[in-house]
Amino acid sequence: MASLLDASKPRINCSMLSQHIGRGVCFVGRVEKVHPTGKTFSVSDGEGKSATVELNEPLEEELSGIVEVIGMVSSKGVITTTTYNILREDKGIPFDLELYNEALKVIHDFPQHYPFEVAASG
Amino acid sequence: MNVPLTKGAVEALCKGLDVDKPVLQLLNIRQISNASSPPRFRLMMSDGQHSLTSCLLATQLNYLSEENLLVPNCVCLLKKTINNTLADGRRVVVVMDMDILKSAKETGGKIGNPTPYNTDGKTSSPQKVSSSTYVPESPPSAAVPGPSYRNYSSPRGRGGSFTGKTPMKASPMKASAIKASPSKGLTMKVSPMKASPMKANSASPGSSAKVNPIASLNPYQSKWTIRARVTNKSSIRTWSNSKGEGKLFSFEIVDESGEIKITAFNKEVDKFFSLVEQGKVYYISKATLKPANKQYTTLKNDYEMTLHAHSSIVPCDDNQSIPTVHCDFVPIAELENRDKDAIIDVIGICKSAEDVSRITTKNSREVSKRALSIIDETGKVVTVTLWGEEAEHFDGSTQPVVAIKGARLSDFGGRSLSALFSSTVMVNPDIPQAFRLRAWYDREGFAVNSQSLTETRSAGTGLNMNWKTLSDIKNEDMGHGEKAQYFSCVATVLYIRKENCLYQACPSADCNKKVIDQQNGLYRCEKCNKEFPNFKYRLLLSANLADFGDNQWVTCFQETAEALLGHSAETLGHLRDTDEAAFDEVFQKANFTTHIFKNRVKLETYNDESRVKVTVMEVQPVDHREYSRRLLQNIYKLAR
Repeated sequence: MASLLDASKPRINCSMLSQHIGRGVCFVGRVEKVHPTGKTFSVSDGEGKSATVELNEPLEEELSGIVEVIGMVSSKGVITTTTYNILREDKGIPFDLELYNEALKVIHDFPQHYPFEVAASG
Repeated sequence: MNVPLTKGAVEALCKGLDVDKPVLQLLNIRQISNASSPPRFRLMMSDGQHSLTSCLLATQLNYLSEENLLVPNCVCLLKKTINNTLADGRRVVVVMDMDILKSAKETGGKIGNPTPYNTDGKTSSPQKVSSSTYVPESPPSAAVPGPSYRNYSSPRGRGGSFTGKTPMKASPMKASAIKASPSKGLTMKVSPMKASPMKANSASPGSSAKVNPIASLNPYQSKWTIRARVTNKSSIRTWSNSKGEGKLFSFEIVDESGEIKITAFNKEVDKFFSLVEQGKVYYISKATLKPANKQYTTLKNDYEMTLHAHSSIVPCDDNQSIPTVHCDFVPIAELENRDKDAIIDVIGICKSAEDVSRITTKNSREVSKRALSIIDETGKVVTVTLWGEEAEHFDGSTQPVVAIKGARLSDFGGRSLSALFSSTVMVNPDIPQAFRLRAWYDREGFAVNSQSLTETRSAGTGLNMNWKTLSDIKNEDMGHGEKAQYFSCVATVLYIRKENCLYQACPSADCNKKVIDQQNGLYRCEKCNKEFPNFKYRLLLSANLADFGDNQWVTCFQETAEALLGHSAETLGHLRDTDEAAFDEVFQKANFTTHIFKNRVKLETYNDESRVKVTVMEVQPVDHREYSRRLLQNIYKLAR
C-alpha cells in the first residue's frame, strides 16, 4: 500500500471515479454519513454527488467536515483509503468545495498544462 | 433658344409670396460695399415682365459671381430663396441656392421688356397701399414658406408705421388658417410677439438676415440669426476674484444642424435669465462668437457664444423642425469599451436609487449626492451619481426612464457615470428611445438578472482594479506615459534591504521630512524650520518582489512597510539598537510571504537617468478564494 503513495494520485471528483478504477486517487469531499461500524462513510463532492469510502481500521475519532482521502478506487467505485486528513474548519480559511471542483475540472480539461504524472514519477 | 422665364415670379416675390423654383434672367449684378463681412452681391432679376432689384446673393453663392458665372443676361433657376422684410418695410429676396441654366452668351440679350416692380418702398405709403391690396389676395398656401420671416414684420409693425398692418394681417390669416396649418402657426405667433417689449427694436434682423444653421456660426460673420431650442440652462453663478466680482449663467441650444453653448454675464444675466427657459425655442441674433473653452463645455462645437447688450432673444413658436435634444445614447454594455473620462450620453430605466447623502468635499463644501442604478436593453446595469439639486429632487420610486446627456464615464468600481455640472438629466423624456425602454422594461426588463458594470464587491477587492503580473511592467512599458499608472498584483517578497530601512523624521504631526542630526542633541527639520530634541523613526523599505514571470524592486513607505514586516517603525528602530538578531529575524520572517500589492508605477528622470520606479500603495493579504475565482475566469477566457 505504501507504494500507492509513491505513484501519482490525481485529484478527482465523483464523476471521474469510473475512469480511475484500479488507480490511486486523491478525493476531497464533505463527510456525509458515517457507518455505525466506523469502517466506511460517504462523502459528497463539490458537485453534490456522493461516493463511499472504506477504511482498513475503524474510525477512532469523530469525522465531520471536509476530508482529503488518498486511496485506490475499487471496481465497485469505492475508495479504499490509504490515508486521510481532515481539513479543519476552525483553522485557516474555510475550504470552498465548489471552487475546488471548478479547479478540478480545469486540471482535467487541460492536462497538458498540469503535468502531474511527470512530476510524480520524477 | 429661349428658356421660358417664370412669368409673374417677380411680382409674387415682391409681394412676399414664395415661388417654386422660378426661372429668372439676371439683368445686373453689383457688389455692395461692406466693411467687415464677406462681399455681398446685389442682383437685378427679371421674369420678362418685371424686374426686381432688391435681390441679394447669399454669401455661400459668392463664388458664382467671383468666378464670372453670374454675368448679366444669364438665365438662372432660383432653387431656394428667402424673403425678408427690412426695418423700413422694404422687401429683400435672398437667393440661397441657384443654378445657371443658360449663360449670358447663349441667351443673347434681355428677355422681354421688364419694368421695375415697385418694391423698393421709397415711401411708406406705396408700401401700405400694396399691403392693403395684397393682404386679401394672398392665398393661404403661400403663407407656407419662411413663415418665420413673415413674423419679423409683425413686431416691427408695432414700432413703425405699420401698426395697422398687424391686425390686418391677422384677420385674413386667421381666415385662411383653417386651410393651411402653418398659417395657424402664424396667427399664434402674432400674440406672443406683442407681449415682449424687447422685440420692438431687437427683432429686426439686418438686410442679410436669414435663419442660419448653428453649424455655420463663426466669429467672422456678424449678421446672423439662429432658431434653436434651449436644451440645458444653468443656474446663476457668481464669482469673486482679484479682478472683481460678477455673475453668469449659461445655456445650450440645439437646432437641426448642431448645438452651441451661450453664456451671459452680469447685465445680460438680468436681462435674459428669466426669459430663457429650457425646452423652448428662440430666435437669437447679435451675440459674440469665440472659440469654445472646452474645459467648460462638452458640446461638439468649435465656438461658443456670449450675449452682449445688443443681443436679441425672441421666443419662437414654430418648433416643429427643431429637435428636442441631440443625444447620442451609448448602450450600457458598450460603456466597458469606452475610455475613462469620456463624456457620454446614456439612457436607461432607473432600477433603484439610493437615498440622498451629504458629502463634504476637499474644499469643505457640502454637497448632496445620490447614486442610482440604471439598466437598459442590453441587460447591463451601471451606477450613475447625481449631485446637488438634481440629486435632492430625484425620485426613483416610479422607476422612471432617465436620460443623461454629457455624463462623465469613470473607472470607479469598474465603470460608473457621474453627472457633471454641464450634464442634462432628463426624467421620462419625450423621446422615442424613452418609450422603447419603458415598453421593454415593462415587458421583460424588470425580471432580467442584470449584471452591474459598477461592481460593489467585498471590501478591498472593490477597488483592486487593473490586475497585472510583474512581467507586464516591462512588457507593457508601464509608467512611461504622462501620468503614473496604478495596478494590483499578487507577488511574493524575496528580499528586503535591512540597511537604510529606517530614517529619523520630524516629530511634528504631519511632517515626515528627514531631520538633520545637529550632534548637540537637537534635530533640525528644514520644512518646519524648527529644532527638536527628539525624532520619530519612519520606515522606507527597498524590497524585491517576484511572481512566476518576473521580479521587481519596489519602495514601501511607512504604512506598507509596517504591514509587510509586522512591526511598527518605533519598535524596529529600538530593536536595531538593542537586539540585532531579533532585528534580522523580522526581515527573515517577511521573506517568501505572498501578498496582494497595489502599486504605482512611473518613469522618473533623475540627473539624465530615467528609471521606472514602483511604489507600493497598499498591501493586502491574499484572499485565496477571490484569487482562485479570478484565475478560473482568466482560464475560461483563454480557453474560448
